[in-house]
Amino acid sequence: MQELLSAIVMVIGAILIVIAMIGIVRLPDVFCRAHAVGKGLTLGLMVLLIGLWLDPHSEVSGLKVVAAIFFQFVTLPVASHLLSRLSYEKNLPRYRNPSRAKDG
Amino acid sequence: MSDLLFQIALVLLAVAMLLGFYRMARGPTVVDRILAFDAVVLCTVGFTALLSRWWQSEFFIELILIVSSLGFFGTVAFVFFLQHSLPYGGYEKNKSKEKES
Repeated sequence: MQELLSAIVMVIGAILIVIAMIGIVRLPDVFCRAHAVGKGLTLGLMVLLIGLWLDPHSEVSGLKVVAAIFFQFVTLPVASHLLSRLSYEKNLPRYRNPSRAKDG
Repeated sequence: MSDLLFQIALVLLAVAMLLGFYRMARGPTVVDRILAFDAVVLCTVGFTALLSRWWQSEFFIELILIVSSLGFFGTVAFVFFLQHSLPYGGYEKNKSKEKES
């Protein structure tokens, strides 16, 4: 029963990761892609590792999985923020709404 | 039942990694490529978690920590390198025709 719960949580995490990667491919801008990495991928990976934590056979290494979840939670938004700050400083091209760009 | 769910999760992560490789090949600026590289490294971390569950082994959890910290420090090193060398506007001069894509 707990194996099935762990498997379902892991599949939910994988689906969230796929949604974040679709966001990386489809979004028009560096800032939007950094947003997709910083939020969607963090959530997906945390849910995947929580699914690993729920696994009844890996109880020995439970604290290490918690440390891994905490490490993801700390470092991933920092990397995304560093990249978007760099692209703001270097004035990378941004997405403008095309219907508004005709007006102004 | 749970084996089928694990195979579904593996296929989903493979699709996610292929999407990351697409953005890494296609991305118009360097920052896009670094972002896609970071995302691919995190997909590798997800693969490691899934395989550690699949093989019932606890030795891969250190590998999760090591691979994710390597991806993070690689991203930070790239950012500190590009702060000095990336041209203002993001494109080199001979690549300015890529601006429309």
